[in-house]
Amino acid sequence: MALFLQSVVSGLLVGGVYALIGIGLTLIFGVMRIINFAHGDLLMMGMYGTWIAFTAWKLDPFLSILLVFPALFLWGAFLQRTFINRVLGALPQNQILLTIGLGLVMSNTAMFLFTSDYRILTTSYSSESFQLAGLSLSSPLAVSFVITATITAILYWFLMKTDTGQAIRATAQDRDAAQLMGINVRWMSILSFGLGAAFAGTAGALISPTYYIFPQVGQPFTLKAFVVVVLGGMGSVVGATLGGLLVGVTESLAAVYISSGLKDLVVYVVFLLILLFKPAGLLGKSRM
Amino acid sequence: MDAMRPSPSPAPRGSARISVAAAVAVVAALAAVPAFVSNPYALHIMILLFLSVIMGSAWNVVGGYAGQYSVGHAAYYGIGAYVTLIFMTQYRIMPWWGTWVAMAAALAVALVIGSITFRLRGPYFVLASIAVAEVIRLTVLNWKSVTNGAEGILSGPIPKIAFGETTIKFISKVPFYYVGLAMVVATVLANLAVQHSKLGYYFQAIREDQDAAHSLGINLTFHKNVALGISAVFTALAGSYYALYVRFIDPSTVLTIDVSVQMVLICIIGGIGTVLGPVIGALVLVALSETLRSNLITDVLISIGAVSAESRVGAFLKEHLSHAHMLIYGVLVVVVILFMPDGILGWVRQSMRRRALAAAGEKR
Repeated sequence: MALFLQSVVSGLLVGGVYALIGIGLTLIFGVMRIINFAHGDLLMMGMYGTWIAFTAWKLDPFLSILLVFPALFLWGAFLQRTFINRVLGALPQNQILLTIGLGLVMSNTAMFLFTSDYRILTTSYSSESFQLAGLSLSSPLAVSFVITATITAILYWFLMKTDTGQAIRATAQDRDAAQLMGINVRWMSILSFGLGAAFAGTAGALISPTYYIFPQVGQPFTLKAFVVVVLGGMGSVVGATLGGLLVGVTESLAAVYISSGLKDLVVYVVFLLILLFKPAGLLGKSRM
Repeated sequence: MDAMRPSPSPAPRGSARISVAAAVAVVAALAAVPAFVSNPYALHIMILLFLSVIMGSAWNVVGGYAGQYSVGHAAYYGIGAYVTLIFMTQYRIMPWWGTWVAMAAALAVALVIGSITFRLRGPYFVLASIAVAEVIRLTVLNWKSVTNGAEGILSGPIPKIAFGETTIKFISKVPFYYVGLAMVVATVLANLAVQHSKLGYYFQAIREDQDAAHSLGINLTFHKNVALGISAVFTALAGSYYALYVRFIDPSTVLTIDVSVQMVLICIIGGIGTVLGPVIGALVLVALSETLRSNLITDVLISIGAVSAESRVGAFLKEHLSHAHMLIYGVLVVVVILFMPDGILGWVRQSMRRRALAAAGEKR
């Protein structure tokens, strides 16, 4: 039982980060109906940003979020304005390929600049852990979980209570109707792509003390973000949060009770089952 | 929205005979190449080109004609590669039999996957195809007793084949060249057959509007499965060819999403849903990646004196440009999607049409 609880809790901690990645993806999908295949590469950029800040100025990875978030927001807004915006009415296939292309450019530019060496960001607390109610928790993961929860809470508040947030939700619900109501749909798209990218980058900063940093690190995270988003229902922020936690726990339990080599396999099988039997996601049709 | 697609406009009568003649001439010229070219590197590039053409054309059947964007074709490529090499190294089954087994295995897997995932549409199908390919990659990675896991399979030389008096040894690149050429012809002919058959019209109807196709009595799942089956068989053939040519495979070379993406790119860059598109796409991509890999561009820049070999820029280019082919792929995809959504072939056709219209306007 202790083992079970332990793996559930570590799964939740990792799942928090997955949730953050998924929220970014689902925000982009909700507003623009575009699946961003470059999402993991945005995360990779966040990781490298954190790594540079750490090696150059000894900036703590968790503090570097203050840098990474705005930087990735601007980058995402730029990508939306220059590239994504042009294919909003195109075939979904072309949209997917455009983001795949952008992802290739990002990851290979990173390889060009930083080579494909694995980088490690070792902080004093990278492998630290503490005891809580008989369970051992990794300190960096616990801190990142708290940060994730805070950011998610702020996002909920932003989407629910502010005018801009409501405008984003309206755009996600019905783009044309929102435009007729006088909402600047173009700006909302730029804003949500920027936010999506910023969340991915933040997730990258959060995991950088515990993961290897290399140019191709994004790909598995892109796939995992898809799983998270489909689990929760495409376009639903609440769903992505739950989906992220669920994927984290599934992975952790599969690693403990089946085999650590097969944990991703289990996640993908669950993903396929959900796609087939409940394609609208576990939460049904809710959007944002 | 579908008006952007290159509609297979019926070519004027008489031009068909010319293009058949041209195609025969090209194949004959290619068949004559090894008689004049003995440089192994040149043959190697031609073999890579053949491989890319087969991969692109194979994907084109399901992605281009039936409009089902699978980004998981690495699954069939990997199955082709693995089944062939496992049968050869472990069961001593000759590769020319093993390849058939590999194709049959890929077909079987495709039909299972297809009947499950073709219930999904659009982005959901894309995601499912990726997930299935990942499941297969992880299975191969973990099924160590058969697949040797992450270490991959290294095979010895390929056994020679005897036809009565003549024996063919697969030591030089020449036999691989001819096998590849034959496979290219077969794959391109299969595309041509699909494009002009009733089956192909069903595929294209599904691509243009599945609901309309369905309402006209086309069995969607059945025909999508047929398209995927054809595509998977040729993809497995390509995988098998690759495995026998390189004689080393592991999950990170034949089963990654990069392989799937590359197959899609070949078609997108050349022109999706056309017979010549994948051929053009393969030509462009192979030429590009080989000039980068062989540092040709840097050498040219140095030889014309644009940069000196000793300078930091020259050293940087020499060091890095050879690894940049994926970067260039990415840039190319972005450019093609934004500016030539019908690929190079579609763009050329469109500008020719525009020029013809302009010429007609001047006459008047």
